[in-house]
Amino acid sequence: MRTRAAVSAALASAGILIAGWQSGVHVADTGSSVASAAAGTTGATGSSGSSGTSSSSGTSDSTASSGASGAGTTGASAKAVGTYPGSVVQTRFGSVQVQITVQAGKITDVTALQLTDAERKSVQISNRAAPILRDEVLQAQSADVQTISGATVTSEAYLNSLQAALDAANL
Amino acid sequence: MNTQLLTNRPGIRRSSGGAVNPFRAQYRRRLLRADLLTVLFWASLAGAVALWLADGGMAGFATPAGSFTALGIVAGLAGMDLVLLMLLLAARIPLIDQTVGHDRALEFHRKLGKPALYLLLAHGVLIAIGYGMAEGLDPVSESVALWVLVPDMWLAYISMLLFIAVVVTSLVAVRRRFPYEFWYAVHLLTYAAVLTSLPHQFSVGALFAEGTWQRWYWLALCIATGAALLYFRVVQPVVATFRHQLTVKRVVRVAPGVVSIEMSGLRLDELAGSGGRFFIWRFLAPGLWWHPHPFSLSAEPVHFDAAGQGTLRITVRNLGKGSSQLASLKPGTKVAVEGPYGLFSTSARSRNHVVMVGAGIGITPVRALLESTPFQPGNATVILRGHSESELYLGEEILDLCRRRGATLFHLTGSRPAGVQTWLPEHAARAGHRLASYDPKIADADVYVCGPSVWAHNVLEDARAAGVREDQIHYERFDW
Repeated sequence: MRTRAAVSAALASAGILIAGWQSGVHVADTGSSVASAAAGTTGATGSSGSSGTSSSSGTSDSTASSGASGAGTTGASAKAVGTYPGSVVQTRFGSVQVQITVQAGKITDVTALQLTDAERKSVQISNRAAPILRDEVLQAQSADVQTISGATVTSEAYLNSLQAALDAANL
Repeated sequence: MNTQLLTNRPGIRRSSGGAVNPFRAQYRRRLLRADLLTVLFWASLAGAVALWLADGGMAGFATPAGSFTALGIVAGLAGMDLVLLMLLLAARIPLIDQTVGHDRALEFHRKLGKPALYLLLAHGVLIAIGYGMAEGLDPVSESVALWVLVPDMWLAYISMLLFIAVVVTSLVAVRRRFPYEFWYAVHLLTYAAVLTSLPHQFSVGALFAEGTWQRWYWLALCIATGAALLYFRVVQPVVATFRHQLTVKRVVRVAPGVVSIEMSGLRLDELAGSGGRFFIWRFLAPGLWWHPHPFSLSAEPVHFDAAGQGTLRITVRNLGKGSSQLASLKPGTKVAVEGPYGLFSTSARSRNHVVMVGAGIGITPVRALLESTPFQPGNATVILRGHSESELYLGEEILDLCRRRGATLFHLTGSRPAGVQTWLPEHAARAGHRLASYDPKIADADVYVCGPSVWAHNVLEDARAAGVREDQIHYERFDW
């Protein structure tokens, strides 16, 4: 009788594990396609030069050296109209980089070039946090906004990258 | 119930001539339940790992950092699953209690303590290493960063410390050095440990992100465990206490240091037939109310009317500080009751023949079992063991019951021989008696044993030597 228990338990456990593994293989494929799709929609510019291959120093919110200041950094005049990419910030959930659009000394738009995308959860968090952060930044006109609870790492990286962009735009 | 089954269908007989064993079906069902619980146990662990697999967790092994993180996640899932299973084992769920018995469930609960703790520790260390490697940090700085930066993580650290405290104080060696009450209070911290661990699982844990089915599964598991604990350990006892309205009627001295406590109450017919199963009693008097006493009934409830109004009785010996106070209980004291629990009852029977062996205060559950368990005359043997006749508590009542029901009774009194491992008194051991000497049919009997643990283990050894199989042995520890 104990053999019956052992055999059934082994079979049931193996079945559950195999089922999980099989659906996991499937999810991993779709998961990565979701992530790349997200990257595709946000990172349309070619400016994300250094995509964080070098392991960064410091804590999770430390900023890595800024990427190539490509795109529309036309001059450094304070009142200039243009886009300014922020630095690439490494987090354990992936790299974060934002770009601001400045018009007449005001931030008119914030675009996420890269968002945390290491796992499906990170993609979800990013998708949730980014629009909120964007609205808050546009309202506050600075990087001095609250982090989103449950997305602290993403928020801090986002705002750090934003600050670098603001510095670049002399705002 | 089982005897009725026989009389209703008297024609059914085996071709071999032996009587149909009415306990066989019950025994088979119990084995099936036990196997089912074993399968559920392993399936839940596999399920916890499958949650992670189904989320594409294997992809984490692509990088060294990811591998550490992945192993850390698996350890955390398995560890938390074990913690939930431990809580369920201690929840006094009737299905578990009636399948393996309360003491075995708790024994298994204890065995899981260390593996659970090791898994949870591994979870913390591996995640710190994995995350640290991903960011170029050493595990210690990463742990600090997690504590400071990630919401809910500080709670998880507190939870970890509480788990360590609970397991360390629960280890038997340590437990001996502290009073039971201290151990019990620390054990209540388990709930704090589990509760503080929950937030980070759902907010930081990638697996249980909003919108995933894994989140719902885990949530359901946690809520079901909490509900089971709340229902079986809080709601049911409170309901039973109000339902039966037990009050101490009188306290009768049975022998030196031994008292019978008679209680009157309502609907006592519902408590009938519990045999040697135990209840947890709390006497609601100053200084006593918080102390739970596990005792079985020492007699079937006597009820006077159809409403079940009547009296019941427990018999108690001064074993500890708590028990000694019971002798001075005032009549009229209200009593809270939980139970019955355990398998020292008819529901553990697997054979027609039954042998009951009791020593000291362990005689009282034997008395209750003898009164209620079905057997044909000549199919039961009762062996009582004590230092002297006066230690064979309720001996008169048991003699009377044996006469009425046709059971064979043995009184074994006297000291153990020095330096020999035996459960018998010196004269019987000298004469070369064994358990089988008292009942030659013991190999095909259910053997119930109740008494001090060293003595009981000697009885069990003797029973095994006589060819009694594990599933025929019904022994409940009562010195915990």
